Amino acid sequence: MDLLLHLLIVIAIYAIFALSLNVEVGYTGLFNFGHVAFFAIGAYTSALLTLAGVPFVWSLPAALFMAGLCGFLLSIPALKLQGDYFGIATLGFGEILRMIVNNEVWLTKGPMGLPGIPRPELFSIVFDTLPRYLILSSGFALLTFAILGFVVLSPFGRALKAVRDDETAAEILGKNAYRFKIKSFAIGSVFAGLAGVLWAHYTTFIGPGDFTLTETILVLLIVVMGGKGTFLGPVVGAVVLIVFQESVRFLRLPPEWTRLLGPLQQMIFGLLLVVLMVFRPEGIIREKGGRR
Amino acid sequence: MIEIRNVTKAFGGTRAVSDCSISLDGLTISGLIGPNGSGKTTLFNLITGLLKPDSGEIRFLGNRIDGRLPHEMAALGLIRTFQLSRVFPRMTVLDNMLLAPQDQTGESFLSLWTRLPRIRKEESENRERAVELLDLLGLTQLYDQFAENLSYGQQKLLELGRALMAKPKMILLDEPTAGINPTLIRTMIEMILAMRDRGQTFFIIEHNMDVVIEVCEKVFVLDHGEKIAEGRPEEIQKNPRVIEAYLGL
Amino acid sequence: MDSISYYLQTVLNGILAGCIYALFAMGLTLIYGVLNFVNFAHGELIMWGAYFLFLFMAEPFGLPLYVAVFPALALTGCLGLAMDYSVFRPIRRANRLTLLIAAMGLSVFLRNAAQFFWGAEVRTYGFEVMAGTQFFGLYLTTQQFAIIGVTILCVIAVYLLFFRSRLGKSMRALSDNLDLARISGIDTKRAIRAAWVISAVLAAIGGILLALDTNLHPEMGIANLIKAFAATLIGGVGNLWGALLGGLLIGLAENIGVLFISPGYKDGIAFVIMVLILLARPYVIIGERSD
Repeated sequence: MDLLLHLLIVIAIYAIFALSLNVEVGYTGLFNFGHVAFFAIGAYTSALLTLAGVPFVWSLPAALFMAGLCGFLLSIPALKLQGDYFGIATLGFGEILRMIVNNEVWLTKGPMGLPGIPRPELFSIVFDTLPRYLILSSGFALLTFAILGFVVLSPFGRALKAVRDDETAAEILGKNAYRFKIKSFAIGSVFAGLAGVLWAHYTTFIGPGDFTLTETILVLLIVVMGGKGTFLGPVVGAVVLIVFQESVRFLRLPPEWTRLLGPLQQMIFGLLLVVLMVFRPEGIIREKGGRR
Repeated sequence: MIEIRNVTKAFGGTRAVSDCSISLDGLTISGLIGPNGSGKTTLFNLITGLLKPDSGEIRFLGNRIDGRLPHEMAALGLIRTFQLSRVFPRMTVLDNMLLAPQDQTGESFLSLWTRLPRIRKEESENRERAVELLDLLGLTQLYDQFAENLSYGQQKLLELGRALMAKPKMILLDEPTAGINPTLIRTMIEMILAMRDRGQTFFIIEHNMDVVIEVCEKVFVLDHGEKIAEGRPEEIQKNPRVIEAYLGL
Repeated sequence: MDSISYYLQTVLNGILAGCIYALFAMGLTLIYGVLNFVNFAHGELIMWGAYFLFLFMAEPFGLPLYVAVFPALALTGCLGLAMDYSVFRPIRRANRLTLLIAAMGLSVFLRNAAQFFWGAEVRTYGFEVMAGTQFFGLYLTTQQFAIIGVTILCVIAVYLLFFRSRLGKSMRALSDNLDLARISGIDTKRAIRAAWVISAVLAAIGGILLALDTNLHPEMGIANLIKAFAATLIGGVGNLWGALLGGLLIGLAENIGVLFISPGYKDGIAFVIMVLILLARPYVIIGERSD
């Protein structure tokens, strides 16, 4: 039962993370490969603040603000680069952020990480049990779903899709593609930060090793497999992948096996991605557009 | 409305547009014709900000527009379509239409949270207008299809409809009838004329002389980037320089 | 005098690192140029090349280095061909994101396969660390001589192949315009296969040299991938000489850079340089704007 709650909590957090990336990749067509950086910024900001005694009710918005601000600042130069270059630049940013977290020990305790992150407390309720945390994280997940869904269905979201489909044509119709992309990036970053905050206060211990390229690939896989550019896609993707990833905990295997299990699992992930791209690149949930 | 004065644009050593001057003042539907490669689309690109002239100026309603960014053109009231239709493939026909109106409150992220009722109102008005236009274009039943599922001719009609949705002061049509079947050509012509009667002005690049004659009030002829003639369609048809330009290639 | 040789040594180290990056980048840019996509799995060709050598030098083969190199390179070439045949060829026409993600998946698969077989521990080929010979006040080990020597040989070989052979001409044609090359009667399949083999072999050589100079571990490919990307992008897509120069530039910048900033950020230098260069270039904001 505990394992089930754990699963659901992780799914909720990754659903938020995936929904946030979906805004950038699925709706605006931005190949952001450094998304994990904003997850990390959210996590570290809230963790450091709460460890310093700041209440969660303040650390949360501060973390969201930091994540969004960093996203905004990064996007300004990065979006001046086209397609592939933008992707590599964001990838590099993610790596550099990890280096900063690793090196600036005075701030982040470097590779040793931050232990003992306090549980969130809101309206005098401390979310320190699994069921309570589930309520917290799924509450935020639903909120994210609702907010981003609203944004994406709006004329603003429509303009994002136009920029994605054909930037020049969108410009001709008066849409300032650069501005829209920046806004999309900032929004995605804020919600990635939210996922990070929830993660930090759940695991109560974070370190630079939690925010590597592997996490970016995981969330990318979730979005693409689930179906980018749709609502349910990222959520479905999160469910499927997190269940798969965490389910190995259920299996009680002799120790020699566990050493092999990690890489084996990842091999399956990789294979899954490849097979998906070859046979069904749109993902599980397709965008609604009718067929003739 | 559009004034092109001594505009030149060269790529490498070749002048795609050479010292070209055209005035569309007071005209409803003007045509731009010329053999392939004469610089027509380049001229359109210059007018709409996709290219910057090497020299000369372009004015729209008296204001200089050369060198401005493409997204500013729509705000000024200038919309164009493309030779190979550029509808948004993975968006529905209706969404393609709804994108076009300018100054939509709903496109501002902040307004989503502060002015929702107004956004709803604008959406509903735009939707009504879109449906009306789609009806005139004969595309109503395709409203929820991805644009990429439409036939080529239907896509070009959609592109025209989308341009009209933006309530522009002038529409630049780049070969609107190229590659589409005669029935749809008829629809296209009828649409253009109907809109003209409602006060819409056009500047059209066309190869199909029948269309040009039926629709254009005045025609400008380009050859190798230079304007070689201008006048009513019937006149320039008989113009020896024009004939030579078309036959000479 | 001492200080000068210290700086010269740094420059030398930069060149050494740069040679290896150049080999990585040249292989990457080749595929990028011919097939117009970023082979995110290139790092795994690097890594598997190094591990294949390890495989043939260990039991049950026990071959000496100079012999084991051949099957190692051959197998890596085959791996490259297999990657194209099984993954990239079926989706040749897909959009960029699809190709990139497929490559990422392949990279994850191959990286973890190596970890599955050999474990995550760091390994070496087992050669003793040598003192290195001194010349002009600089130290150079045999391995490091080899790096420079092999790189020069590779550059010459690449030059001959690309600019002095029909195959090279075909590959350059594909680089320019794949569809045009197809209908001009060039044997595109052969040229593509050749490109993969060359790309894989260059990667493997780079990986082996890197492993000789440092060590082997499953992450060694991807750890250097971003730098290879950086070198590729600095030099211009598909531009072999650009990749060579880009690699050298990054190697130098890294080694000289750590004289001024914390070594923890060494890996970030390549990226920063790349971004600065990309931003400084006349960039395209909107599709057709700057012809």
